[in-house]
Amino acid sequence: MKFDTLIVGGGLSGLTCGIALAKRGKRVAIVAGGQNTLHFYGGSMELLGNVNGKDVDNPIEAIAQLNENHPYSKIGADSVAELAKKAKALLADVGIQTIGDATHNHYRITPMGTTKPAWLTIDGMATSDKADQLPWNKVSLVYLEGFIDYPIDFAANGIRQMGVQVETPTISLDCLKRARRSATEMRPTNLAKIFASTSAVAQLAQAINNSCGDADAVLIPAVLGIDNDDVCNMLKAQVNKPLFFLATLPPAVTGVRINAALRHYFQMLGGRYILGDTACKVVTNGDTVTEIRTTKLLDMPLQADNYVIATGSFMSRGLVADFEHVYEPLIGLDTNAPDDHEKWSQYGMMGDQPYMSYGVMTDGNFHPLKDGKTLTNAFAIGQILGGHNPVVMGDGTGVSMITALAVANQIK
Amino acid sequence: MATTQLTSISDHNFEQCLKCSICTVYCPVAAVNPAYPGPKQAGPDGERYRLKDPKFFDEALKLCLNCKRCEVACPSDVRIGDLIQQARMKHKSYRPKMRDMMLASTDLVGTMATMVAPITNFTLGLKPVKAVMHGVMAIDKHRTFPAYSQQKFEAWFNKNARDYQNTFAKHVSYFHGCYVNYNFPQLGKDFVTVMNAVGYGVHLLEKEKCCGVAMIANGMYNQARKQGEVNMASMRKSIDQQRPVLTTSSTCTFTMRDEYPELLGINNDGVRDNLSLATRFLFQLVDEGKIKLAFRPEFKMRIAYHTACHMQRMGWAIYSTELLRMIPGLELIELDQNCCGISGTYGFKKENYETSQAIGETLFADIEAAKPDYVSTDCETCKWQIEMSTSVKVLNPISILAQALDIDATRRLNSSEWHRMDA
Ligand code: SF4
Ligand code: SF4
Ligand code: SF4
Repeated sequence: MKFDTLIVGGGLSGLTCGIALAKRGKRVAIVAGGQNTLHFYGGSMELLGNVNGKDVDNPIEAIAQLNENHPYSKIGADSVAELAKKAKALLADVGIQTIGDATHNHYRITPMGTTKPAWLTIDGMATSDKADQLPWNKVSLVYLEGFIDYPIDFAANGIRQMGVQVETPTISLDCLKRARRSATEMRPTNLAKIFASTSAVAQLAQAINNSCGDADAVLIPAVLGIDNDDVCNMLKAQVNKPLFFLATLPPAVTGVRINAALRHYFQMLGGRYILGDTACKVVTNGDTVTEIRTTKLLDMPLQADNYVIATGSFMSRGLVADFEHVYEPLIGLDTNAPDDHEKWSQYGMMGDQPYMSYGVMTDGNFHPLKDGKTLTNAFAIGQILGGHNPVVMGDGTGVSMITALAVANQIK
Repeated sequence: MATTQLTSISDHNFEQCLKCSICTVYCPVAAVNPAYPGPKQAGPDGERYRLKDPKFFDEALKLCLNCKRCEVACPSDVRIGDLIQQARMKHKSYRPKMRDMMLASTDLVGTMATMVAPITNFTLGLKPVKAVMHGVMAIDKHRTFPAYSQQKFEAWFNKNARDYQNTFAKHVSYFHGCYVNYNFPQLGKDFVTVMNAVGYGVHLLEKEKCCGVAMIANGMYNQARKQGEVNMASMRKSIDQQRPVLTTSSTCTFTMRDEYPELLGINNDGVRDNLSLATRFLFQLVDEGKIKLAFRPEFKMRIAYHTACHMQRMGWAIYSTELLRMIPGLELIELDQNCCGISGTYGFKKENYETSQAIGETLFADIEAAKPDYVSTDCETCKWQIEMSTSVKVLNPISILAQALDIDATRRLNSSEWHRMDA
C-alpha cells in the first residue's frame, strides 16, 4: 500500500502533521497502536511554561534562553511564533475554540487546585491571568455525588489559598443514580455520556441554580461535551451565574473531544487512520526508509515518500528503557540518554528528572539520526524528541504541535 | 538472589496494564449499562482478584459484548476482552438457557428454518409469535429476525456454479458462513461472480460448520470447540490442495483466526495464514499487479463505511475501504468508530435489547446524517442491526464490487493475464 506520507503514531503530533498534509491534498496514512496521551489533556495546551525555574510570560521571547538542542531552538523563535498561530487556527478548524496566544501565557487551574502557565485553553474552562490570583471573590465548586475522579478537597483548598472563598455544594441527580451503581465507572467520560442528553443538562442546571447562593461564579469539573461543546454552552445558558469548567483527572473529557475532533477532521480530508495496529518493523536502505510493516497487515508493506515517527515518549512506548539502555524500539534511532542508568533519575519524583528530556536525536530539520547518520526521508516529531522536558518546562503539547507543523511544511 | 523478570509471562498481557482507564472510554456497554463494571474493572483489575480467589468472579461479566473495542483502544496492548472471556469460561456457574442455545446454534436453527422458510419468515414476523418469543424464549419482541432464504447458498452453488469452477487456472475455497447459507445467499453469489471474473475458481469446503462465535458468546464452549476442529480439518485439506480459504464475514474470520487459539485452545497453525477475508485477498492481488479490475463507467454510489468491531480488532478495515476506493464512481464516507450494539446474538436477547439499541444510537444518527445510498460493512450482524434501526440498506463490499465491476471486461483482462504468465 503506497502513500505520500506515512505517520507512525496517532496522537496530537501525528494527527496535527497528518491534517496539515492532507489539507494540501497529500495521501496520508496514520498507524496508531491504540489510543494516545491526548486522553490525559485537561483542556489546555502549553508552549513553554517554565525556564530556569521561573514562570514564562512570553514563550516566544523565552525561546532565546533554551539550549540549542531544544526543538524550538532548531525551528527558531520567529517560525515558532508563526506555527503557533497556525496551530491555534488548526484547532479552530476541527471545531476546538481556544483562548490564548503564544506571546502571553495565561494560567490554567489543575485538578489539584494549583495554577500552571498555559498557551491555549479550550473556551469555557476556568483560567486566570495571574499565577496566584483568581478573578473571583467567592466561588461555588460543584461536587457531583459519587464522582470518584475529582479530588474536591485538594481543589477547594488550592483555590482558597489564592484568597477566594469556596463553597462545595454536593449535587445528586436522578440521572446519576443509575451511574452510581457502578462506582468504579463514575469517570469523567462516563458522566459525559450521561450529560449528552438535554434533559440531564437541564436537571444539572436546575440543581446548580438551587444550590449556589451568593457565589460570583460556579466551577464544575469538565464532565460535559465529549462530542462537541453544545451541551457545555447549553449548561452555561441555563445557569444564572457565570460558569467555568475545571480540568479533571484522566481520562479527560476535553482530551477525548480534541482527539475525536482531530481524527474526524483528518478522515474527512481523506486521511487513513489505521487504529489498533502497531508498526513493528521499519526497513531502511542506507540513509532512507523503504517500508514499514505492522503487526496486523502482516505481509502488506506500507510505503511512502516520507515517513514521520510520532510514537511518543516512554508512556506510549515510543521510547523504552530496560535495565541497561534507553532505546527507540522501532528503528533503533540514536537517543541522547547516557548508558549509565544511575544518571537517568534523581531524588524527588516530581522534580527535574533527567530521563524526562531523553529522546531521539535529530538534525536541525528533524531528520532522525541512526548510528550517527541522518535518515533523509524520515522525520521525528512530538514527545519522542529529546532535548525538552514537558513536566519541568511545560512544553509538551507545544512541542507536539509545533514540530508537527514544522515538519509538514518541509514535506514537499 | 532473586532473578529479575524481564518480560511478560501472563496470559493476555494482563500485567502490562498501566491503569490509564482509556479502555473504559471506549466500552460501548459501560457507557449505557451501569450494571456492567467496565473493561478495566472486569479485565485486568478483576483478574488480580480472581487469581487470588475465584469467589471474586462477577456474573456481570456476561454483559460484555466481546466487541474488543477496549483492546483496540488500550495503548499497552492488554488483551482485555480475552481476559474477560477467559474468566467467564473458567468461572461461569450458569448454564445456557434453551433460548441461548437456539440463538447460538445457527446451523441447526438455520437448517430447520430454511426448510420451511416461507412459514418461518411469516411466523417470525407475526405479532403473537413475537410476543411468545419475548415471553417464553426471552427473545426481544422488537427484533425483526433476518429472513430465511428459500434456497440455501450451498444448494444454489451445487446446482448452478460448481461444475464450471474447475475451468479456472487458480482456486480458492469459500467459507460462506451461516448468514450467507441461510439468510442471504446473494452475497455468496456475488463472491463467486467476483472471484470468477478475476480468474479464480471457487469451491466449498469438504465440511463447513458455523464458526461458533455465537456459541462462545453464549457459554457453549465445548460445542464451539468441536465445530472449530471440523472447520480446521477441512481447511487443512483445502490448503494442502493450494486453495486458500476466503470468507466474506469479518466475524467468522476473526473467530477462526484469533478466538480459536486464544480462547478455545484450538491449534490453527498452517490455517491461520491461509484464511483471509475476500476483500483483503483481492486488494493484495491488485496491489501486487496480479489481477486487474475494470469498472462500469456509469456506476455511481455514495457509501458510508462502518467498521465492524471484529474488523477493527483485526485491523483490516483498510483493505475493504481501499478496495472500495478503487471504484471510480464511488464516494466513500468513513463513519466514526462506534459499535452498532448487536454483537452476534447479544442484542437479540430481551434483557439486552435496550442496551443494544442505546449503544447503536450514535452510529444510527451518523448514518442518517451522512445520507448515503448504502451503508457498507463486512459483518452480517451489523447489517441486521443497521437495517432494523435506520432507513438505509447495507451491502457487503464484495456485493458492491460485483455491481461496480464490468464483469466481461474484467474477465478478459485477467484471462489474458494468465496467458501471458503461462507463456
Ligand atoms: S487501557 Fe489498557 S492500560 Fe489502560 S486501564 Fe485499560 S487495560 Fe489498563
Ligand atoms: S469487549 Fe467490548 S463490551 Fe467487553 S469490555 Fe471490551 S469494550 Fe466492553
Ligand atoms: S460468525 Fe459466521 S459462521 Fe459464525 S454464526 Fe455468524 S455467520 Fe455463522
